[in-house]
Amino acid sequence: MNAHSMAVAGAPVTHKGEVLLSVESISLRFGGVKAITDVSFDIRKGEVRAIIGPNGAGKTSMLNCINGFYHPQEGRITYKGVRRDKMRPHRAAAAGIARTFQNVALFKGMSTLDNIMTGRTLKMRKGFFWQALRHGPAMNEEIEHRKVVEDIIDFLQIQHIRKLPVGKLPYGLQKRVELGRALAMEPELLLLDEPMAGMNLEEKEDMCRFILDVNNQFGTTIALIEHDMGVVMDLSDRVVVLEYGRKIADGTPAEVKADQRVIDAYLGVAH
Amino acid sequence: MASAAAGQADTFPKLLLRNARERGARTAFRHKDLGIWQSWTWAEVAEQVRAYARGFEQLGLKRGEKVAIIGYNRPRLYWSMAAAQWLGAIPVPVYADSVADEMAYVLDHAGAVFACVQDQEQVDKVLSVIERLPNLRHMLYDEPRGLRDYDHAKLHDIGDVIEAGRTALKDAAVSAVHDREMEQGASADLAIILYTSGTTGRPKGVMLTHYNVITAAEIGCGFDGLNENDEIIAYLPIAWVGDHVFSYAQAIIAGFCVNCPEGPETVVDDRREIGTTYAFAPPRVFETMLTLTMVRMEDAGPLMRKVFHYFLGVAKQHGEKILNGEPVPLSARLLYKLGDILIYAPLRNRFGLTNIKVGYTAGEAIGPELFRFYRSIGVNLKQLYGQTEAGVYITMQPDGEIKADTVGKPAPQVEIRIADNGEVLYRSPSIFRGYYKDDEKTAETMTEDGFVRSGDAGFFDESGHLKIIDRAKDVGKLNSGELFPPKYIENKLKFYPNIKEVVAFGQGRDYATVALNIDLTAVGNWAERNNVVYASYQELAGHPQVYEMMAKHVDEVNRSLAAEPMMGGAQIKRFLILHKELDADDGELTRTQKVRRGFIAERYAPLVEALYNGATEADISTEVTFEDGRKGVISATVKVVDSKVYPVTTPAITPATKEAA
Repeated sequence: MNAHSMAVAGAPVTHKGEVLLSVESISLRFGGVKAITDVSFDIRKGEVRAIIGPNGAGKTSMLNCINGFYHPQEGRITYKGVRRDKMRPHRAAAAGIARTFQNVALFKGMSTLDNIMTGRTLKMRKGFFWQALRHGPAMNEEIEHRKVVEDIIDFLQIQHIRKLPVGKLPYGLQKRVELGRALAMEPELLLLDEPMAGMNLEEKEDMCRFILDVNNQFGTTIALIEHDMGVVMDLSDRVVVLEYGRKIADGTPAEVKADQRVIDAYLGVAH
Repeated sequence: MASAAAGQADTFPKLLLRNARERGARTAFRHKDLGIWQSWTWAEVAEQVRAYARGFEQLGLKRGEKVAIIGYNRPRLYWSMAAAQWLGAIPVPVYADSVADEMAYVLDHAGAVFACVQDQEQVDKVLSVIERLPNLRHMLYDEPRGLRDYDHAKLHDIGDVIEAGRTALKDAAVSAVHDREMEQGASADLAIILYTSGTTGRPKGVMLTHYNVITAAEIGCGFDGLNENDEIIAYLPIAWVGDHVFSYAQAIIAGFCVNCPEGPETVVDDRREIGTTYAFAPPRVFETMLTLTMVRMEDAGPLMRKVFHYFLGVAKQHGEKILNGEPVPLSARLLYKLGDILIYAPLRNRFGLTNIKVGYTAGEAIGPELFRFYRSIGVNLKQLYGQTEAGVYITMQPDGEIKADTVGKPAPQVEIRIADNGEVLYRSPSIFRGYYKDDEKTAETMTEDGFVRSGDAGFFDESGHLKIIDRAKDVGKLNSGELFPPKYIENKLKFYPNIKEVVAFGQGRDYATVALNIDLTAVGNWAERNNVVYASYQELAGHPQVYEMMAKHVDEVNRSLAAEPMMGGAQIKRFLILHKELDADDGELTRTQKVRRGFIAERYAPLVEALYNGATEADISTEVTFEDGRKGVISATVKVVDSKVYPVTTPAITPATKEAA
């Protein structure tokens, strides 16, 4: 990370108290395969929470549980004080949970602008009929949404690719567009599945900057999965570590880094 | 002339108020933001600048103090200049892409007390060297993004400063005092200090008064008949004299509209949307546009490609003559007309040059091929020879007298003299007052009778047009005593679209050699089409087929050098392709992208040695600086190749540098 700017911008850890989402004793099985076993942790309002772990530790499954894509067989998920074990993804979205995917999931043939506009779908009030007419109230609504989307484009500095089909963009930019689409939902909780995967150093630094800015400027709570330890240590307020579907550590980056079980999990240990 | 045309308005703030009075409702500035062109009229701009100046004063800015302006072309950064001038303070624009160390030097040397910067990136950069800037009292930013948690004791949003000024100005007494402050400004006051990037040593601060800048701007406006209906896009560094005169001074004098693009990457699209009538670009910009088009055309269908090349041929034959108003047979005219509909007009549209009245290229010599290409498709492209010390204009090309290989006739009000050593000297009302805090350098540059030494060697041709061959101190000699003009050789090679940069060596050596930089866009595209696999720039640069291609170019250049008077001795005996792109961050190029030959010779000493000791390859490792200031090392083995030298066909005559006009 950009060392000096970090010192000024990213340092203060404040007003991060109230629990936004809590996961209690969750277990998730696919047939005989135990993806997650008895994991509990919470995400507090306004924090950047990292979920890390070796391959196959159950990180993505965990995100999928949180946004309602998987339903854990056991345990409880409480979001904003309301228990919701069986929630469909679109309900999660409506409740303010947005996410990006490990492998970019955009509409390749559509422009950056249109892709981000799709993030506004849930906020559109006028029905299909009005939308199709493209006049009157639907038009005004469209302009309103376009304003929000333009703010996001400006925020993510992707003005130059506004009208390009995303399929033609380099991977790093596609990831940025995907973040833009998630932001367009104006989420309270943003789930990022390996936002930095496959990026070069410069793209990673840009992405870090954006994640911090989102957190800082909009106060969005962020839960992210990441492999790059440097990134995790710089970005997150607290880290939860999974291994083989179990939680092995939970705490500040410094605490987690010093934890013997985490070191073993990452570096391997003689059996 | 300056004061006659401007009436009583002899400073920029006064001219701004004149515009607000005389054309208050016309658009003065546009900035593409959030996908929309936001615009401000002259009346609004004057009002903003007035309030901004008051805001400055409340923060404690005093007459004569310096205000650094750092960032890309944003309306509020231009207004910062005007607001500083309102109080008699002196704006000092700084190259936005300079690394922290360079920036610290300029800010410190200028003694800037305020810095108006674009965004967090620049704020961070200044903060990182803050301990070297004891004079800096306040920093103002245009873009608040990411700056929320910074300590705002000495950091301000420009918007807030303007607002505070506006509130204070509601008081009639304050308002009257404020306007009197501006009235005190005189044409002989310093208007701006522009730091030249300089090919050697530390940048020098060129001091220009309001009178200098106004005169320079009027020369240009008069020469090309610019008026309030013109449109320009401001995208070149604000610290460059060209941008200052074109996008600030001339805009205020002629009252035309300045359009600020959304960002550096969107300039081409934004230019197309605006349809500028007046353009200014270094050759590199025109070169990139053409390279991109040619590369894309290679991917077009065969029919399209055929039509394209056929009509480009037609344009090459007749286009320039038609533009110059020379006689051309009717059939050719009709064919050209057809080509215009099918190819040229769409091309001009693609380049955003449809409405162009006049386009200028300056800063570097432009390749004759490139120059002719744009003229042949109907773009009135001209060359200009200028310097910061001259307030830009030295020579310009009048309509109908445009030649690719000269830079034109002396601009209005400019006198030119050629010194005995071939150096071009000039004098005009717009020349600078001296280098800031450097009387020694000023004395070196100015002659006793008020001429400025340009440092360039050149001569007037038979029609009175100036021809520049190189920097006077760079035109060297080989051991054999034959002339060695490095820039001349470099430019010949650079005109091939797949060569990006060239450095020529030969001063005090037995023969001339060059180190090349391939153009990644062009060569990369070629590699794709020819199934040449490569993993990195370094690998592509070292590819045998790429070497073959370059060898052909070098051979052609040698052939043409052999056929020119005096140049035959400078034929290239050996060459190599560099393993990395030359970069301003590594100090290899200046901020205006000129090669720093001496520095490169030192940095790549093992390679230069190999060029002369007959080795076929050489090892090199170089330190590179990333944009955030961190350093890394690139190492490589670079091949050195011999090339054929042709017998000289023309006899050597006395050096052209001695042919004074």
